[in-house]
Amino acid sequence: MPLDQIIRLALLVIFSVNAALVTALVTLKTVHRRRMRLHEKRRQGYLAVLSRHLSYEHCTDPITEDMAEDPAFLDALIDMRNAITGDEVATLRRIVNRHGVIERQVRHLDSSLLLGRRLRAAVAIAEIGDETAADALMRHLDDREPEIRIQCARGLGRIQWTPAIDQIVSRFSGEDPWVRARFSDTLVGYGTKATWPLLAYVRINHRFESKGPALALRTIGQIQDDQAVGPMLEILDDAADLDVQLATIEALGELASPEALPALVDLLDDEVWQLRAKAASAMGGIGDPEAIPRMFGSLRDENWWVRRSAAAALARLPGGVDALYAALEDEDRYAADAAAEALTDAGELVSARRRIDAGVSDNEPLLAHMERGVVA
Amino acid sequence: MSEKKKILVADDSETIRALLQTALESAGYEVDMAKDGVSAYELGSNGDYDLVILDQLMPGLLGLDVITRWHQEGMDVPVLMLTGVDDDRTAVESFDRGAVDYVRKPFRITELMARIRMRL
Amino acid sequence: MIFEVLRWLGYGTIAYFIVMQVYLIVLALLSGAALRRNHHLRRFGRVGEMLSSRTTPPITIVIPAYNEAAGIVDSVRSMSIVKYPRFEIVITNDGSSDQTLDSLIAAFDLEKVRIPYRPDLDCAPVRAIYRGRSGVDITVIDKENGGRADALNAGINAARHPYVLCTDADVVLDPDCLVHAMQRVVEDRERTVGVGGNVRPLNGSRVELGHLIEASVPHGLIARMQILEYVRTFLASRPGWSWMNALPNVSGAFGIWKKSVIVEVGGFTRGHMGEDMDLTMRVHRHLLDRKIPYRIVYEPSAVIWTEVPDTARVLRRQRIRWHRGLMTTVKDFFGMTFNPRYRQVGMVSWGGFVLFEFLAPIIEFLGWIVVPTAWALGALNTTALGAMLLVAFGMGLMNSIIALLLDESYGYFNSPADTSRLIAVAVIENFGLRQMTVVWRIRALVGGKGTRSWGNMERRGVANLARQE
Repeated sequence: MPLDQIIRLALLVIFSVNAALVTALVTLKTVHRRRMRLHEKRRQGYLAVLSRHLSYEHCTDPITEDMAEDPAFLDALIDMRNAITGDEVATLRRIVNRHGVIERQVRHLDSSLLLGRRLRAAVAIAEIGDETAADALMRHLDDREPEIRIQCARGLGRIQWTPAIDQIVSRFSGEDPWVRARFSDTLVGYGTKATWPLLAYVRINHRFESKGPALALRTIGQIQDDQAVGPMLEILDDAADLDVQLATIEALGELASPEALPALVDLLDDEVWQLRAKAASAMGGIGDPEAIPRMFGSLRDENWWVRRSAAAALARLPGGVDALYAALEDEDRYAADAAAEALTDAGELVSARRRIDAGVSDNEPLLAHMERGVVA
Repeated sequence: MSEKKKILVADDSETIRALLQTALESAGYEVDMAKDGVSAYELGSNGDYDLVILDQLMPGLLGLDVITRWHQEGMDVPVLMLTGVDDDRTAVESFDRGAVDYVRKPFRITELMARIRMRL
Repeated sequence: MIFEVLRWLGYGTIAYFIVMQVYLIVLALLSGAALRRNHHLRRFGRVGEMLSSRTTPPITIVIPAYNEAAGIVDSVRSMSIVKYPRFEIVITNDGSSDQTLDSLIAAFDLEKVRIPYRPDLDCAPVRAIYRGRSGVDITVIDKENGGRADALNAGINAARHPYVLCTDADVVLDPDCLVHAMQRVVEDRERTVGVGGNVRPLNGSRVELGHLIEASVPHGLIARMQILEYVRTFLASRPGWSWMNALPNVSGAFGIWKKSVIVEVGGFTRGHMGEDMDLTMRVHRHLLDRKIPYRIVYEPSAVIWTEVPDTARVLRRQRIRWHRGLMTTVKDFFGMTFNPRYRQVGMVSWGGFVLFEFLAPIIEFLGWIVVPTAWALGALNTTALGAMLLVAFGMGLMNSIIALLLDESYGYFNSPADTSRLIAVAVIENFGLRQMTVVWRIRALVGGKGTRSWGNMERRGVANLARQE
């Protein structure tokens, strides 16, 4: 084809595409916007209907099949579910299940081809579903879409469906990191029921991998089940991977059990600085004043993060604040500065200033320390 | 016939506003709304409300800022604060500035209504 | 003989621009695909769950401030209520000559402190550090003037969290921006080292107490042209580059970085006029050289608003500064251009930057001389020339419209009138505005007096912008 014909063709294509794009733009602006506005209006209407159902015991506002299919209704439902708590959630569930809303959403989740619709369905089921939806939620723990997997786990946690615990824990190893993190949140929601499955998982896997077991350990810490302390100390002894060790120490700090203190005190002398720092923080969580002398020593650690962790931990121990004030006078100025920072964070700076302003005291060592300029 | 009690609801969440409006009106109160801190402050200062339900996290002025201003201006508006789950500080500080009660979000409607009935 | 040369040069110049438009359009289509995924996920779940989860990483917001007394307090206040579970704010007073430091001290009840400050990164001497006493977790570093990059380094030194958000004192943050951006980090903690945000011009929009109430298209051609520019890059280029893991620039107005990585590469380059792009490219090079798996992504839902110049005079200063920054960057990273060792960055995004962003003004300027000359001497067929120019123009227009289309899903401009104004600008800008920027960039290239200063943008203050309309 001769050159100028090509160019002519190109021009035709370009300007028709432009025209099409402008049309699309204008259409989106008007049509799409209108659809969105109507969606919003309906949503607000549905919010009012749901509010009335919750406020009046014998509300007779109809919830039709059309409403149950309307995405705006689902949006309103999800929002309302998150605004209330307690037995009112059960009321909402009852209202909704009377009209088959959840069954419908399960069907969408199973067979719709549109990601948006499936996602909305998953969220709705997770928020409002009851035990009848558990089967569907379990099935979709393996959904190809990560967000849907997250919502399913969340939903199972909300209805406290115990058979799901093992399923969720076992997926720690294969999952995307952020899906795993959300699974962890769900397991915390299960509470102590999740402790033993998690411990079992850690025991089996911590020699082969670190991310999954580390997260599992941190999850156990957040669950705060005292029964886990013994097994965790065993794992600490056994573990070789640094991430796993750090996670165990962190969890022991959360569990706040004095039983862990001896093991942690030993770690204050470990050659790996991360372990020293984590151990110091964990001891702050346990809250036993017996630890103060050893932590005071850690203020002089050669690693600055260890110093900072030790100082912060001291601030949390009964009597630790006095130890920090003593450290302000220490000849090791790095220790003194770490102590000053911890005292500041603990609110001592404010208190000291107030005491001076009120005339209650005329010499505040913390303020004097601050006058001496910046460490750089 | 006694006059209806007037309540101002200030919250940036539309869901909460819808819920509270329905519940309060069905209980026989007259309800006004504000979507953000600034209009909450303006409406509350000019209107004559028997109770103000004030959310903490709002665009413009925070709930705490609003109640602080009223306190500084010597206005005696009964305020019920709505705070987030982990937000103890707001509750305590709001009491310092004259709030009469607080409720954590998410809340139970029946509980909120009971507290309101107690105040009015 | 000369005839032949002129013919090739003439057609070649226009062909260059056509190729550039093809590149941009392909990039725009890629970006469109990347944005579609994002669209669905924005509605559900993320925000609430991130906010309440203990696994959400803490972050330090670093704000360099130089003579920002007008708006710094409002700005910091609005940043302090951004929706995020754990964060601290570090402001660096870069030797301001106005009341910046004093207004901060007064507003946030600051107290001078002496605390461990590790100078991991180079910066001008620090005079004092202040911590806040009231509620908000604020640290202010008072130091001698050293420029934006320098101030950022000081702030990063004082940052206590593993991630830092580098931003500016006069931006308006969307309340959810931090959550959306950190969501990308949480998706892949190991590899994600940087997240760039979506910057939109604030001009013409209603702002109250540091919050955006309503966005609209401003008056004034200069401001409108920039709206198009920003939409083109942030919606039709960056998502595509990010998807390829080749993002060449994490915007200085909103850039989240893993602190350890910034320290590893030595922080921002002091005195550099394009310090954000310089850092991004340095991180790419550093990690690619060492074959460390990583990713730097762009998050379109992390939206922030900033004031852009609305007069040609101020715009000129900005563009000259940017281009000088680009020149330095091109010089520093020239070895990466089309170098397979640097994979997508070198071959596609950086290569594209050098080939098009950097060379285009030069080629265009030369084209103004060559093309009319060649045509006048009869070396170019008038119809063919006209047609090619139309093709280039049409494709440029297509690019702008695709970008506007991609922007639709964010729903900022509500009225059809606004859209038509922007389309009009997309046409008009080719008749003068673009040429103006080309002249400025050539000026920057040539250098000399007036192109060196960091430049103070005349800030009207964010609140005042709205009142002007």
